[in-house]
Amino acid sequence: MNNKFDALKDDDSGDHEQDQGSPKDSEKEKPEEDDKEQNIIKKKMVVPGPGEHPLQYNYTFWYSRRTPGRPASTQSYEQNIKQIGSFASVEQFWRFYSHMIRPGDLTGHSDFHLFKEGIKPMWEDDANKMGGKWIIRLRKGLASRCWENLILAMLGEQFMVGEEICGAVVSVRFQEDIISIWNKTASDQATTARIRDTLRRVLNLPPNTIMEYKTHTDSIKAWEDFHGLVNASGGR
Amino acid sequence: MNLRKLYENLTCHTLLTNTTNIKVRMRRIHFRIMIGVLLFYAFYPLTWFLFRRPSEALKRSVPQSVNGTTVWDGDTVTLGSTQSETTMQDQSGETKERLKEPVPQKNIQSPNTDEENLSAVLQKDMRIDAAAETTEMQTTLEEEREDPKMGDGEKVVFRDVIHDSQNEKEISTSSGDNVDVLLKYPTLEGSMEKTNCPEKNQSKTENSKEMLQASNADTSKSPDECWDDYIVTTGNPLLSNSQTYLKIDEQHDAQTGWHFPVGPGLAQEVFCPQWSFPASSYYTTVEPTVPFEVMWRVWEDLDADSESVLTPITIKKASLDFTVMSYNILAQDLLELNQHLYAHCPLEMQQWSYRCNLLLNEIEKWAPDILCLQEVQENHYHEHLHPLLSQMGYTCVYQRRTGTKTDGCAVCYQGSRFAEAAVSKLEFFRPETGLLDRHNVGIVLLLRPLVTTEAEVKEAGPSLCVANTHLLFNPRRGDVKLAQLAIMLAEIDAVIKSCKARGEHCNVVFCGDFNSVPHLPLYQFITTGELSYQGLPTWMISGQEDLSYKPSYHRLFAPLWPSSLGISDTCQYTANINKTQSQNSGTRGYSHEFMLQLRFCPAACVRPENLALIPGVTDSKPDTSEDAQHYEKRFRDRLRHQVDLESVYKHVLPGSGCPEVTTLHSEGGTTVDYIFYSPKRTLTKKQRAYKTSAGKGLKLVGSLSLLSEDFLWSMNGLPNHILPSDHLSLVARFQLELDDA
Repeated sequence: MNNKFDALKDDDSGDHEQDQGSPKDSEKEKPEEDDKEQNIIKKKMVVPGPGEHPLQYNYTFWYSRRTPGRPASTQSYEQNIKQIGSFASVEQFWRFYSHMIRPGDLTGHSDFHLFKEGIKPMWEDDANKMGGKWIIRLRKGLASRCWENLILAMLGEQFMVGEEICGAVVSVRFQEDIISIWNKTASDQATTARIRDTLRRVLNLPPNTIMEYKTHTDSIKAWEDFHGLVNASGGR
Repeated sequence: MNLRKLYENLTCHTLLTNTTNIKVRMRRIHFRIMIGVLLFYAFYPLTWFLFRRPSEALKRSVPQSVNGTTVWDGDTVTLGSTQSETTMQDQSGETKERLKEPVPQKNIQSPNTDEENLSAVLQKDMRIDAAAETTEMQTTLEEEREDPKMGDGEKVVFRDVIHDSQNEKEISTSSGDNVDVLLKYPTLEGSMEKTNCPEKNQSKTENSKEMLQASNADTSKSPDECWDDYIVTTGNPLLSNSQTYLKIDEQHDAQTGWHFPVGPGLAQEVFCPQWSFPASSYYTTVEPTVPFEVMWRVWEDLDADSESVLTPITIKKASLDFTVMSYNILAQDLLELNQHLYAHCPLEMQQWSYRCNLLLNEIEKWAPDILCLQEVQENHYHEHLHPLLSQMGYTCVYQRRTGTKTDGCAVCYQGSRFAEAAVSKLEFFRPETGLLDRHNVGIVLLLRPLVTTEAEVKEAGPSLCVANTHLLFNPRRGDVKLAQLAIMLAEIDAVIKSCKARGEHCNVVFCGDFNSVPHLPLYQFITTGELSYQGLPTWMISGQEDLSYKPSYHRLFAPLWPSSLGISDTCQYTANINKTQSQNSGTRGYSHEFMLQLRFCPAACVRPENLALIPGVTDSKPDTSEDAQHYEKRFRDRLRHQVDLESVYKHVLPGSGCPEVTTLHSEGGTTVDYIFYSPKRTLTKKQRAYKTSAGKGLKLVGSLSLLSEDFLWSMNGLPNHILPSDHLSLVARFQLELDDA
C-alpha cells in the first residue's frame, strides 16, 4: 500500500492504478458528497432529454489526481478518483465536457477517465478484468486534441467492436501525456486490431507513433511485483 | 523598318496604355504629328498596297495577336490584308452598340444599383479611354524613332508578320494616305478592350481630335455593316492560327460552306453547305478570294498532357467512355425580357425556331451521352426539345423553376448507355428558411452504366451521379448561392452514400450555370471542399461583379442557414449523418462532425446541476465567443463538403493564356458554367475524399475548347448565326473504369 502512487507514477497509462490491497468496503470511507452522488447515479439512470441525440451507451466522467505533498500511502486509489457525472446524450456529453478543463491544461499528475456507466475505471471491475488497453504516449501539447478525438469516436460508436469498449483515459504526466482505450477481451485479437486501426484513423496519428497493447493482468502483475518488492523491502 | 517598329510597339501596347505621364505626352503630340506627316511621305509607296488591299484586316489581326490570343503565321497577314476596310468600322459600330448597353442592363439586373454611380463609372471609363488613346498614339509614334524595349519572346512571331508585309510593300505602288492608316493602329488596339473604343471616337479630346482627323475618313464610314465584320474576323484568326486549328490546309479547298471539326482529335469534319451568306451587296468591298471557312471550336484530347492531374492509365479493366454536355440554352422568355443584352444579335437569329435548330445541330454534332441543360423553357421543352431529344435516343428529366419564371433545368441521357437508378428534383425555394426565398432548381440523377455483352445488355458498376443546377443570378446574394449549392451537395452526398451502403463507389459529374466566376469563394468551395466564410462580403462569393464600391454590403456570418434546413455545415443532410455512420442496425453512431455540430447547442452550454466544482478541473466555461481552441473555431465558421470535385476547364485557353468565357452578352463575357467531376486521383486526399475513392474516379479524356471573349465578339457576340445561346456549350469526355462484372 505504501508505495501505490510510486507505482502509479511508473505505470504507463496512469489511471488503471487500483488499490489492490484495499477491500471494497473501504469505499464507505469516501467523502459523503461522493457517496451521495454515486447513489443518485445508481438509483436514477441518466436519460436523454427531449429532442436530444441519445448515445448508444451512457457514460460517466471520472477524475483522479495524485495529491501533492500527502503521503501516497494514506490514500487509496478509489479515494483519489472522483465521479464527475454521467450522461446519456450527445448534448449532455457536451454539457459536461465544455465545463471541464481540457486535459492539456490540467496541472499536476492528473487523469480523466470516461467509462461506460457501471464500469469502474479499475482493473478489477468485472468488465475489465479479462481486458486490456491500447496505450499511446504523446508529447506535450497534443493531449487535448487527441483526447477529444478519441472520446468523440468512442461516444459516436466509431470503433465498431460491439460492446467491447469499456472506456478511455487520458493521463497527464510530467514530460508526456498518455491516452489509452480499454476493452473487455484482451485475447480477442480481431477486436484489438480493429481498435488500433480506428485509433490511428480518428487520432490522425503520425505514422511512426508507437502504440502498445497491454493486458490488465500484465498491469496487475507488474504492479504486484513492484508492490511486493516494496512491501518486502518496506517490511509491511 | 519604321513599320516594323510600329508592329513591335503594338505588341507592348498594353504595357504602355497604363503609362501615367499623359500630360507630357500631350505636349509632344503635335511634334508627333509632324513625324507622322514625314512618315506619310516615307511610306508613300506602301500606301498603294494599303489602299488597294485595305489594311484594316491586317490591323485587326494585330490587336488580336497583341492580346495574346493566338500565334500568327506570316501567311496570316497576307490573307488578312486582303480583307476589306470595313472591318474596323464595323468593329467600332458594333462596340458602339455595346457601349450603350450597360446602363439599362444594370438597372434591370441589379435594381439597387443607382444610376449615378453607373454613369460616373462610365464617364470615368471614357476619360480613361481617351487618355489611354492619346497615350497609345503617342507611344506608337514615339517608338517609330526610338527602339522599343520589349521582350524578345513575343517579337519573334511578329517579325515574321512584318517581313511578309514588307515583301508586299515592294509590289505595291503608292497612293492614299498611309500615315492615316498607321495612326489608326492604336485606336484599334483600344477597341481590344471591347468596351469603349467608339466612345473614344465620339468624345475625342482636343488633343486627340487632331490626331484622329486623319483617320476620320475611315472611321466615319458606314459602321452598320456588321456582316463584313464577322466574316472577316472569323475567317481571319481561324485561317491564320495554325497551332490551334489543325486542319487549315485541307480547309482551303472548300469554299462553299462551313467545316466543323467533330470528335476527338478532329478526326471527322462536318460540312455545312446550307449556310448562305447575306446578300452580296454587303460585300462590295470584299475580294472574293477569301475562303469562308470557320472552325470555331476545337476538340482537345487530354491524354498525355494532363497526367499530372490524372492517374497514369494501366487499363486492365473494362472501361466506358461517355460524353457530357452542359449548356445554358437561353430561355426565349428571358431573351425577350432582356432585349438590351442582345441588341447586337439580328432579330431573326433571336427567334426560338432558329436557335432551336442550331441547338439541336450542336447536340447532334457532339452527341453527348448525358446532356445537362439550363434555362429550358417549359413550353419549348414539351413542344420541341423533349420530342426531338427523345427521337435522338435521350431519356429526359425536367424540373421547372418554381415561381413565375417559365424555364428550368433538364438532364437527358442516352437510354442505350445508362439506366436510371434514382431521380431527385430539387427546389431551392424553402419559404420556412428566410435565406432560401429564390426560385432556383436542380436535378440529381443516379445512373447505372449499361454494358453490352454477347447480345445481352446489363447494368454495371460503378454508378454515376449526374447533378445539374442553375444557381441564383443576383451577384449580391452569395449567401443564397451558397445555400442553394449546399442543397445540391447534400443531395449528391446522399446519393453517394446510398451507393456506399451497397458497397459501391459512385462517380460524380456536377454541371450547371453556377453564376459564379472561377477561383472566387463559391468556386473554391466546390473544388477544395472548404470555405472559411466568416466576414466575407456576400457579393464576393460569386465574384460576378466587384461591388466593393458600394457604401454598404452584407457580410457572411455563421451560421449561414438555420439547422431547420436539415443540412449541416458539412453539406450533408443532418438526418443522414446518423444513419450512415451506424453500421449495425440499432447502433446509435455519430460522426465526429456531427458531434461537433452540437458542441455549442443551447442544451450543451448549461452547467450540469450535479457537476461538482473542482478548481482547475471542472471550472471551465463553454464560452462560444472565446473559442480559445483554434480548431473549434475552424469548425464553426467553415463550410465543408465531402464530394471530391474538379473542374474540367481550367479557365484559361491553353497556349495563349487568355481567359475562357462561357457566357457573353453586351455587358461582357465571363465563366459561370462548369462541369465538375470526381477525378481519378493517384493518392486519396487524406482528409476529404471518401475512403473508397482511391484509384477510382473519372478520367477526363477530352473536352471541347472554349473561346475567348475577343473571339466571340469577332463572331458578333452571342447569340449569333452559329451559336444559339448567350452561353457556350461545355462538353467533356470521361472514362469510367467498370467494376468486374
